[in-house]
Amino acid sequence: MLSKDKVTWDLETDVVVLGSGGAALTTAIRAADEGAEVVILEKSDEIGGTTAFSGGIPWIPENRYMKEKGIKDSFEEAKQYLSHLTGGSEPDPKLVDLYIHEGKHMIDYLYEKTPVRFSIPRGYGDYYANNPGGKNEGRSLDPEPFPLTKLGEWEHKIRRNPIFPPLTLAEGGASDPSKADFSLVAERMEKNITTMGRALIGGLFKTVLDFGVKTYLSTPGEELVMDDDGAVVGVRAVKDGEDFFVGARKGVMIASGGFEWNEELVNTFLSGPITHPQSPAYNEGDGLIMAMEAGAALGNMDSAWWSPAFVDPTIEYEGRVYNQIDSSARTMANSIMVNKSGKRFVNEGATYQDLPKAFYTYDQNTQTLANSGGAWMIFDQQLKDRALIVTMAPGEEAPDWVPQSDSIEGLAKQIDIEPEVLEETINHWNENARNHVDPDFGRGGLYFGNMATGGAGIEAMIGPIEKATFYALPVYQGALGTNGGPRIDEHGQVISLRGELIPGLYAAGNAAMGILGGAYPGAGGTIGPALTFGYLAGKHLANTANREL
Amino acid sequence: MPSGTTEVVLDLPIENIWDFVSDMDKWAPLVPGYIEHEIISDMQSTWTFKGDIGIMQKTVKLQVDIKEWIEPTTVTFDLTGLNENFAGNGYFQADALSDHQTKMTGNLDITAKGMMGPMINAILKNFVPKTAEDLTNRIAEEIVAVNQ
Repeated sequence: MLSKDKVTWDLETDVVVLGSGGAALTTAIRAADEGAEVVILEKSDEIGGTTAFSGGIPWIPENRYMKEKGIKDSFEEAKQYLSHLTGGSEPDPKLVDLYIHEGKHMIDYLYEKTPVRFSIPRGYGDYYANNPGGKNEGRSLDPEPFPLTKLGEWEHKIRRNPIFPPLTLAEGGASDPSKADFSLVAERMEKNITTMGRALIGGLFKTVLDFGVKTYLSTPGEELVMDDDGAVVGVRAVKDGEDFFVGARKGVMIASGGFEWNEELVNTFLSGPITHPQSPAYNEGDGLIMAMEAGAALGNMDSAWWSPAFVDPTIEYEGRVYNQIDSSARTMANSIMVNKSGKRFVNEGATYQDLPKAFYTYDQNTQTLANSGGAWMIFDQQLKDRALIVTMAPGEEAPDWVPQSDSIEGLAKQIDIEPEVLEETINHWNENARNHVDPDFGRGGLYFGNMATGGAGIEAMIGPIEKATFYALPVYQGALGTNGGPRIDEHGQVISLRGELIPGLYAAGNAAMGILGGAYPGAGGTIGPALTFGYLAGKHLANTANREL
Repeated sequence: MPSGTTEVVLDLPIENIWDFVSDMDKWAPLVPGYIEHEIISDMQSTWTFKGDIGIMQKTVKLQVDIKEWIEPTTVTFDLTGLNENFAGNGYFQADALSDHQTKMTGNLDITAKGMMGPMINAILKNFVPKTAEDLTNRIAEEIVAVNQ
């Protein structure tokens, strides 16, 4: 970090926000609305960060849209539901309570101050909705379509999202693409109407523009500037290859994403590698490094927003092969997942947050992470014929990069697994699958598995792998982002290693300590807290007394 | 149906144009996103290139079947996706405007099929004309360069 004495400011403002995802923009809007002058510094050349890349869904209990639809919810139910999932892993239980209390106010605030509107996708429930306090629908909010043409000269600066077609969740944008209306997709693409994460970011950024907040693209924050009292008073960024010093009279918000693309930080804090991050490659832990330099205490560092990753090697994003997000096909009948030894190791119907945790299970007998590296999704022609699998559409020939064979033996040889082992695994699976049971891993018993397969019951989740052709897809260790960072208080203000507040320093979103520990209650478990703490921090920042720069 | 046609007038005799265009190896590297090509026969070849469709970059393999080869004016061809469900066609046309001036026309017409066809065609609507334009212009520039 830099001492204030050695710096000449290129720009002075009240609040500096690092990043331009959901947490960042909500902070900027609230701070500007409360009267502060705000500057956003974005590392990449596009707005939106990890949020634009995502479904854009906040998970918010007791929200206004639930009330409109007559869906009952309460603090107690949400608390009961979350408490079971976090299991004591939450770094500060007070913040969970605050999240439940304030999330709904944040949604009201966005309704009043921004063009962001949400709807409740029918049947899209909490991922463990059958747990006490769970809801079958209502807490995961689906951004309504937003025309980026409203952003004027910024229309084409919202981060491109290769994951989701411009359909809402309710229209099949993420849940079942094989049933999507691709004519509607085409129409929206032509009119630059977006949905999901891009719609959320588009609506938020429209308000940022309306408040006159200045945004600098391709201007990464690199170092905090501190005064003699240990207060953060600005940032050294880099703009056009030169140092760019921005003074912050009130404070600096670090909302610049996680560290999943920084191999060294991942190896330092997580229990195993993230070989295929599924986020923009700009998330290299810049904010975490800055916060550590400033003496921040850290929280929830061993956690990530996990997600199994798939790859279609013919598709690239920003110059590298694109790591596809989870495929709902892996929860469907006529498929299983095996490790590099050819053995099943997980309930394939588990959530994308829970399934990858099995990659990092230590095997005392082999002294290895037996499921780490070399996992495969094995499926047959029955599934191929009815589901969109990664980028393979039903009815179309599987591409040559997908291992495929008329026999399990032949398939095993292609993927370097002992044929006898894979045959035994599949024979055993088939024996149980014909009776629609999975005594080994409990597949078919999870609410999420049923939801991911369209709520069609056990036959949609468990079925034998018996009809040639047989296929194998590699499954990689992915993450939507990391979930640990500087510890924060109820205002999003960063806490030091000594347990004191670091004046002028705030964090939110994936750049901050995840307040839910390792829990992911439903779609929007990342964005819900991110928006809520951005909303809280923005107000606190704006109402902080100005410092002398 | 995504398509694009581009015309360029060159101050060169039609024979010079044909000499360049009739040899696939000469202009293959000028195809936007070109990775490789393989000549199977006089009438058939396969191509691999990386198309930048804005949201992402996609490596596409396709087969080109020559339908007409009329020296020195016309080549028409069909396109078939090898790793994707699309088909199309195109043509190259050279028209002598004088002994020393030739109009060169390039055309591409590609349609995605299958479940996601409408969505992909929306993307191709911009991509195909731009590719036709880029390729025709690059070939024109190269022909001028080699004839200087």
